[in-house]
Amino acid sequence: MGKQVETKYRLWFSWQYEQEEKWINELSRQGLQWKRGGIIRNEFERDASVRYTYRLDYQLGLNKEKREEYLELYRDAGWEFRGNCTPAWFYFRRAWRPEEDPQLYTDRESLVTHYKRLRSMMAVMLLINLFIMCLNGINLLPRANGHLWGIVIPVLAIYALLFLLLGTGVVKMNRKIKRITS
Amino acid sequence: MADVKGMLPLTEAFYYILIALYAQPSHGYGIMQDVEGMSDGRVKIGAGTLYTALNTLLGKGLIDHYPVPEGTDARRKMYSITQDGRDTVAAEMKRLEELLASGRRIIHPEEA
Repeated sequence: MGKQVETKYRLWFSWQYEQEEKWINELSRQGLQWKRGGIIRNEFERDASVRYTYRLDYQLGLNKEKREEYLELYRDAGWEFRGNCTPAWFYFRRAWRPEEDPQLYTDRESLVTHYKRLRSMMAVMLLINLFIMCLNGINLLPRANGHLWGIVIPVLAIYALLFLLLGTGVVKMNRKIKRITS
Repeated sequence: MADVKGMLPLTEAFYYILIALYAQPSHGYGIMQDVEGMSDGRVKIGAGTLYTALNTLLGKGLIDHYPVPEGTDARRKMYSITQDGRDTVAAEMKRLEELLASGRRIIHPEEA
């Protein structure tokens, strides 16, 4: 209670979660402890008397029971659950210790599995959006006469940006996977 | 019977989880401790690796849920090894023995 809260803004995407971890850990070293946050906005508590190692984990589609089981196992392993950013990203922390760099994924095989899950999430989102765009195109384009600049072009631009982001994500994850498997 | 050979070779984590459960049913925390003990602190299984591995092993039928004894924390799920799990461990040990024997024959022929 009564701890000073600071807000910081920083946009990150799923394939950059390790950089986000690094940033949060560096702030912890400086006395800013992650409290809650998300893709852009993060709240930190000022407390220079402690330092933590934070880790982000991705788990999609856990129901209530599975989620409890998951958090319990991580708690047992010494990870304190701090919060979610979207239902799929989980923030954990444990007291920082010198000479230690605790990881959630401790062998190459499980790290690859983890990266592949992230990659398939982005690939599936890409395909679903592509499908929706095609459906909308078939339905709406015949009636789009005269709305080219008002509707069609802006919508296509938004889709293009979305595909570019998701495509980048898939490529970045591919590189990570290649780097540790070759 | 499941495709035992299809799981081989096991990763260190999978192998150690299975032999920890071969000894006795356990929960995640117990498995982590046992594995660290058995390997003299060399193999430390991270939470993400353990959680993923347990789900995979459950999915393949090599381990199963085990009823949590009364009076203990019910949130802490317990696991036990199945017959397919035991067969997988046995097949993996046979494979490892062969690897060791082949290596020894080349490197220490005098002992063979």
